[in-house]
Amino acid sequence: MKVTRFTIVTLLVVVAMMAAALPSLAQETLPRNETLYFNGQQWGAVVGWNPYSSSMNNAMAIAQGASARVTMFESPYLYNMLDGQVYPLLANGPFAWNDARTEITFSLNPAAHWNDGTPVTAEDVAYTWASHVKYNTPTGAGNVAYIEDIGAVDEMTVVVKAKLDENGAALNPLLVESYLSANYVAQKAWTQVMEERVGEDATAFLADIAEDVVFSGPYGPFFADESKVVLVRDDNYWGQDASMWGKLPAPKYLAHNIFADNAAGTTALKAGEVDVSQQFNSNVQDLWLEDGLAISTYLPEAPYQIGASLPTAFFNLTGSSVGLDNVAVRKAIAMAVDYPTIIANAMTNQSATFEQVPRSLMNPTAGEQALYNHEAVADLQWVGNDIEGAKALLDEAGVVDSDGDGWREVDGVNLHYVATCPNGWSDWQAAIEVVAAAGAQIGIDITTNYPEWSVYQTVVTKSDEPLPEGYDIFMMWSNGAGPTEPWGRIRNMLSSEWVGMTSNWSGNWGGYVNPEADALIQAIPTETDPDKVVELYTELVKMYLTDVPSFTLMYRPQSFHTVNESVWTNFPFDGDGTEPPVPPMDCTDGWGIACLYNLELVNP
Amino acid sequence: MKEYRNYFFKKLGWFAVTLVAAFILNFILPRLMPADPVAAIVARMAQGQTDATGVQAIYEQYIELFATDKPMVEQFVIYVQNVLRGDFGYSIAEYPRTVNDVIRSSIGWTIALQFPAIIVGWVLGNTLGALAAYLKGNFDRLLMPLSIFLSNIPAFGMAIIMLVIFAVELKWFPVSGGYGYDMIPNNSPEFVWSVIVHYQLPFWSIVLITIGGQAIGMRSMAIYELNADYVKYARFLGIKDRKIIQYVFRNAMLPQITGLALSIGTMVGGALFAEIIFSYPGIGTTLLTASLGGDYPLISASTLIITIMTLIAVFALEILYGFIDPRVKAAQAE
Amino acid sequence: MKHLLGQIFRSGKFLFGFVIFMIIMLTVLIYPLLVEYPPLKTISRGTFLPPGIYVNVYDSMTFSESYTLILDNAATKRIASKLNAEDRQAMKEWLVIGAELPEDEIDVDDTAKLIDLWTTNFDPTVRLPGMTNADRNYYIRLTASLDGLLATEGATVAVANEDTGVLEEKYVIDQTTYVNVGEVPNVRVLPLGTDNFGRDVLTELIKAISVSLTIGFVAGTVATTIGLILGLVSGYIGGIVDDLIMFITNLFTVIPSIILLILISFSIGQEKRGAFTIAVVIGFTSWVWTARAVRAQVISLRNRDHVNLSKLSGHSIIHILAMDILPYIASYVVMALILQISSGILAEAGLSILGLGPRTTEVPTLGLMLNWALIYQAPLLGKWWAYFPVILIIALIAFSMNLMNTGLDQVFNPALRD
Repeated sequence: MKVTRFTIVTLLVVVAMMAAALPSLAQETLPRNETLYFNGQQWGAVVGWNPYSSSMNNAMAIAQGASARVTMFESPYLYNMLDGQVYPLLANGPFAWNDARTEITFSLNPAAHWNDGTPVTAEDVAYTWASHVKYNTPTGAGNVAYIEDIGAVDEMTVVVKAKLDENGAALNPLLVESYLSANYVAQKAWTQVMEERVGEDATAFLADIAEDVVFSGPYGPFFADESKVVLVRDDNYWGQDASMWGKLPAPKYLAHNIFADNAAGTTALKAGEVDVSQQFNSNVQDLWLEDGLAISTYLPEAPYQIGASLPTAFFNLTGSSVGLDNVAVRKAIAMAVDYPTIIANAMTNQSATFEQVPRSLMNPTAGEQALYNHEAVADLQWVGNDIEGAKALLDEAGVVDSDGDGWREVDGVNLHYVATCPNGWSDWQAAIEVVAAAGAQIGIDITTNYPEWSVYQTVVTKSDEPLPEGYDIFMMWSNGAGPTEPWGRIRNMLSSEWVGMTSNWSGNWGGYVNPEADALIQAIPTETDPDKVVELYTELVKMYLTDVPSFTLMYRPQSFHTVNESVWTNFPFDGDGTEPPVPPMDCTDGWGIACLYNLELVNP
Repeated sequence: MKEYRNYFFKKLGWFAVTLVAAFILNFILPRLMPADPVAAIVARMAQGQTDATGVQAIYEQYIELFATDKPMVEQFVIYVQNVLRGDFGYSIAEYPRTVNDVIRSSIGWTIALQFPAIIVGWVLGNTLGALAAYLKGNFDRLLMPLSIFLSNIPAFGMAIIMLVIFAVELKWFPVSGGYGYDMIPNNSPEFVWSVIVHYQLPFWSIVLITIGGQAIGMRSMAIYELNADYVKYARFLGIKDRKIIQYVFRNAMLPQITGLALSIGTMVGGALFAEIIFSYPGIGTTLLTASLGGDYPLISASTLIITIMTLIAVFALEILYGFIDPRVKAAQAE
Repeated sequence: MKHLLGQIFRSGKFLFGFVIFMIIMLTVLIYPLLVEYPPLKTISRGTFLPPGIYVNVYDSMTFSESYTLILDNAATKRIASKLNAEDRQAMKEWLVIGAELPEDEIDVDDTAKLIDLWTTNFDPTVRLPGMTNADRNYYIRLTASLDGLLATEGATVAVANEDTGVLEEKYVIDQTTYVNVGEVPNVRVLPLGTDNFGRDVLTELIKAISVSLTIGFVAGTVATTIGLILGLVSGYIGGIVDDLIMFITNLFTVIPSIILLILISFSIGQEKRGAFTIAVVIGFTSWVWTARAVRAQVISLRNRDHVNLSKLSGHSIIHILAMDILPYIASYVVMALILQISSGILAEAGLSILGLGPRTTEVPTLGLMLNWALIYQAPLLGKWWAYFPVILIIALIAFSMNLMNTGLDQVFNPALRD
């Protein structure tokens, strides 16, 4: 009897504690057929809503970049990675350079207004830029070297003045242009309110969680806690004006449940609790082939996704790795690697192969592939698994095994390298394992090591001194798709301007220095003749494939795009007939947000 | 009574010392880790930075904010002052959230999951163990190996198997989260029901494992007691069986209560796997990500909470023992 | 001693646990002698190949004797493998809505007619109301799989001429051609398929068991040794030494070992985290219970007559501890060791799942196998062979050790006997 009473008491305690653990809010269930669910964006709880800050951990609302996420905040233009064009959002019509190409003028859409009803004006655009500079935000610091000023000509017209070089030409027109599609416009009045609140202190300005933020986008904050974040449609959104979308986006709510890891995210996708999945679902084809679920990817067959970035293994060229200064050693390792196994096993075939898209510095999109002369570099491109070729290359370069212990030597030292990437980055780890396996086949001892990311990042981004032991071959990313690509990616992979930085988050972490490459990289942004541009790019690809400062292991999409069509349909897919084509960008990024206006219910 | 007061103060003294030492360890251990957490914030701030001195400036600004450049002793003094005011500072990984905010939003879930799970597992396990000892025979022969087997399935294995069977295949229970994926917390009956349904798999995955261990322990203790001299003597005196059994199980229960107190202290670690496998909100995952991210203000604060909880449980128990158990009393006199 | 062993082996529980444990041990010892595959070699391009017998297609065409078997249902089986009842029904549905054919004209059981109707009418570009992109993809895949389904001729294998590059017919394979698996030079049996790296799961598992057992043994030995020494000293000497040791023990009790494990493993860094290091770390963080229990036992022993006698004879503390006390708690220590070994194995698996286990490439462990299976989502994709055997083995090892422990307990504590 005692036990039963005890059990009842315990159960009561359970219920009481659960009730106590919950904040009381008067809101019901989100109707399934008015809500679009996401995964793979938001990890951990949302911190705040401040569009100036990069510390808000608020992936559904704040993500500036080549294809800015425009659910809540909006940029003047939207980039479309499929056709490489930009389309106006807050802007009215295309922007225009003046004849000297020193400043850009564009006007704002007169229909555009904030969620408080006031119009979006040129003053807002100008003040946003001024605040970025004043508080040294990442956006401000990253662009201040290229943008002189952003000002308002009249209420609706904005002029963006480029920083000029000594000849009076814009330093980098590409970066000036891309500012317009990569960065949000914040409201001047609200910005001033926040400035007053934080006393114009830069740290406090970026740490403010901005619960009172004013926004122009179609969605606003609805709910956020430890397990989810929900945005709700602003039915007064200006974009329903005929000059923009002509209607409201289909889902009333955008919701993102917070999952512990990819596996939990995939489970929810399988269960129909996620509509749009922006995460790596391993063996994604099993979801429809084996389980028969209404799930599809942008492409129906492998590689399933549109590759946009190039996860790359860098060689340590800072002098602390014996033998890696020898290009034959670098190229031999790169040639011997079994890329088909990396793509089949690490990426479970969600990457194009190097037979399909031969290696260069370009991503697999048609636009970038057209930017270099394929024939001119065909002899330099390798597809991997070339053990004999690699051995011959090493023998020829005099890197041989002279003491007969099975390992080749340089200056009497056995070649031994550590290949590394951050722990828990599963596809990279699996890829690095394959790289290491290649070493043994050509007489170079390669072992692997996976430090925690928090350690890894501090080591790799410290570019002002030689890399320490254990970082002979290490993986990092490249830029994806964007209006400055492939130029920005190539700059980050090859430019020596990053060498010597205390905290280098740009690229060339291996410390490759080649003045010729630097010169070519500097020449491209100001070059206006398309044929000449192709020539310059071809030259860079040639240099890259000859010097092998790093080598790409796979192609990776900008956003993974896997959708479950059990509630919503009409997501973008290859050949869906949209014009301009809607890119598979998670239905939220750049021109990809057009997806939200095309969605339909499967069972209306 | 004087003896008892001595006993009490001696224990109290030792616990105070332990608390201080644990507090210092909690402060130092995370800070010995090789990661530079400030670099992680700067990484976010510095993306797109092209100017080396600019990055350096940002870096120094945050070093100053977190005072990581000061000597450890000075950092400790500042830390103690703040903690005494109940302020654990900013979480580094989730900056600008404060540690208090991060912990407050997750610890409720952990307690609500673990506390009842441990108690229910403990009650069921002890009941079964006592029954096995008392009934013997087939019940015992079946229960014992089953309990041993259950208690030996690793926590994560149990969670995975339950997830695959009951959520993925049979679809009886939801696959993840603390409440309906389509819900906003509120006080409606639907929501409470949703919380209860989501509660089941993580809850039972913990309970099932606890049951086995407790049943084994209780059975052994009960058999010891059943064969003890005082039972024979009591029988000889003709005291009723019911009465004897009451004594037997009360005595057998004492060591089991120690186990209970300690498992309440370690519940944060215990919840970790259930939280990971079922994406259940709670402090276990918070602590793990904090560890991997080198977020030492958060690690120190969470471990401190756990330490204090365990200490209180152990202390309360030892004090209580001094009152109840004559054997402990005897030991004090020694 | 002989008597004791006899008693131990008469305990049903001990025997049962012992047999399970020995089966696992023997498998670990014998399997590598019979099968010499390297345990960490990637053999499959493609992840999670299901368990089965893999026959080299090239070899079976070119290097093996071919036989002709006339089996009645061969064609039916072939068709059924590509076109099941659901597919037929789906085709019918599309034809009724998409091509507006009358429902009664379509006979789903008449394969030839159904396929004929399908090939003439199906148009992948038609978008029907309520049809998703996933449906569309399904119909396109179905159409592709129907290609050649009803063919009765054999397939021709052609080889490119080395000089001209022109394809030349080499073999014709009839639908009635068979090979004997035993005669094919390259056949690989994968009883548990492959994992996410494309490694042979069974071979890897066997190796992992032996590594994990070693980890458990090292961790158990370290923990038991520390616990035993501290417990003996603290319990026997008492006083300030006891207080000090108990203080340390309490410290280790209130800071949960899982947190210590996480912090220490993280601080060591992956490059130094070999299987042995992990084992020592686990041992170092899990001695607390042994120390407490040994201390309690020693306290109850230290005033026994034979101990006092020994003291009076002027024996050293070490001598007393080793000769007069240790023998009385030896049985307990053995049991504690067994439990520590099994919890060491569990601790390694737990750490590995958190991504803090031994470094990945050197050796497989049970925890690492499970960790990678989870990362590549084996449980969700139904790839049971990659994770279930691992969980089962961990549970079986721990189960067998605990059974042995319980058996021993009953032998050493006669009160517990049934």
